Amino acid sequence: MSTFPASAVEKFRHEALLYAGGADFITGTVPFIRDGVRAGEPVLVVESVDKIELLRVALGDDASAVLFADMAGVGANPARIIPAWHDFVSRHGAAGRRLRGIGEPIWKGRSPDELIECQRHESLLNVAFGHGQPWWLLCPYDTERLDAAVIEEARRSHEFVTERSTVKASDIFRGLEASGAPFDVPLPEPGTALGQMAFGPNDLAAIRVLVSRHARAAGIEARAAELVTALNEVATNSIRHGGGSGTLRVWQEDSTLVCEVRDRGRFDKPLADRERPSVSVSAPRGLWLANQLCDLVQIRTLPEGTVVRLHMRRRPQQHLRVVPAVN
Amino acid sequence: MELLGGGRDSIDDRLDAALEGGIVYADKLLVVTRTEDPTGLCFAGEIDVSNSHAVAESLSVTEGDGADLHLDLSGLSFCDISGIRSLVDAAETRLSGRLMLHGLPELLQTVMKATGWSELPNLHICNCRGAR
Repeated sequence: MSTFPASAVEKFRHEALLYAGGADFITGTVPFIRDGVRAGEPVLVVESVDKIELLRVALGDDASAVLFADMAGVGANPARIIPAWHDFVSRHGAAGRRLRGIGEPIWKGRSPDELIECQRHESLLNVAFGHGQPWWLLCPYDTERLDAAVIEEARRSHEFVTERSTVKASDIFRGLEASGAPFDVPLPEPGTALGQMAFGPNDLAAIRVLVSRHARAAGIEARAAELVTALNEVATNSIRHGGGSGTLRVWQEDSTLVCEVRDRGRFDKPLADRERPSVSVSAPRGLWLANQLCDLVQIRTLPEGTVVRLHMRRRPQQHLRVVPAVN
Repeated sequence: MELLGGGRDSIDDRLDAALEGGIVYADKLLVVTRTEDPTGLCFAGEIDVSNSHAVAESLSVTEGDGADLHLDLSGLSFCDISGIRSLVDAAETRLSGRLMLHGLPELLQTVMKATGWSELPNLHICNCRGAR
């Protein structure tokens, strides 16, 4: 008997799967995948390489009908996951065709900064797909390895929660509207800044020189041009939309260089940094580009203005892998 | 910011322009010069929101005869989205002939691809090195 009946969902269904260890993971995911495959629904699984291997074995012949992608690549920067799901839905969900997905963006090794951005990502999924076509996304959470507070947040960002093979509506789900509310979780105050400057419309070139110098000094020379390009766009936003000026701070955290821009603008389009730019020449592209180039982008909407932090690690990030097409 | 081009009609003027490097636009970040063979412009330096208007201005004085226009971008050490947007805009508003981009730095190619601007009918990215 199947845990997940193949009954078609009538709207986007965002469901957390709380599992304890590998066997529980398989029990919770395999019937969901299999039911999708047998109903002719395209299924995309974005998981770790290890879990993909487990699933391939457990699914046997059904695995050939499933698309797999490595979450370590797709979700290295969590803001790239929604675009990947968008691609899947638009490529395979023509004419309202039902689809299923499994995505596990949060694992034990995520840094504290990444974890918070992943949690924001989980909420933004509701905004990105809540008004669109019906499809079913299952997000596994490992209760043996993740903190209780992380599981608690999963209950707020998912409308449904499955645990021990029982599905329930989450009674603390924050709802569609609150999922896209201004994000104002405090950012930790950094240690000593390597560089700091107030900037106005005539200072972009100076900003580029400053960041380029610090990137070289921090040993991320190979990625300096990407960081400079991303930062230039963020600072340009301050000049054009954020009151005409801003302040820049640069510091290092282990092998990561962080650049922060603060301005008096108000960032109130929660998906603006993760919606693929339209073909229109005038469509905004700056924050989207920052997410494609940087390892992590943190955006906060605070009463006094907007803060954007760009993170660039010494090691190159894994780039988004192309999802193979379904035949 | 001064615009030095435009209105060069006589053969003597054009010869002068070619001899002096044919500067079409110059500011402290960017120099744009005319190129004769192939017909086009050479951009050297940096383009950002402070001077991206130079792209359209320079192109407007180098319309040629409707044939393809060649832009040598191998000397661009930086170009932001507003600069790329100006190139795309210029390509899309051309009545005839394509805008051929030569020597496009690798990062700019990545940026154009990431921002959905790499496959446009009137904008062609040439993989040769430099326009000349």
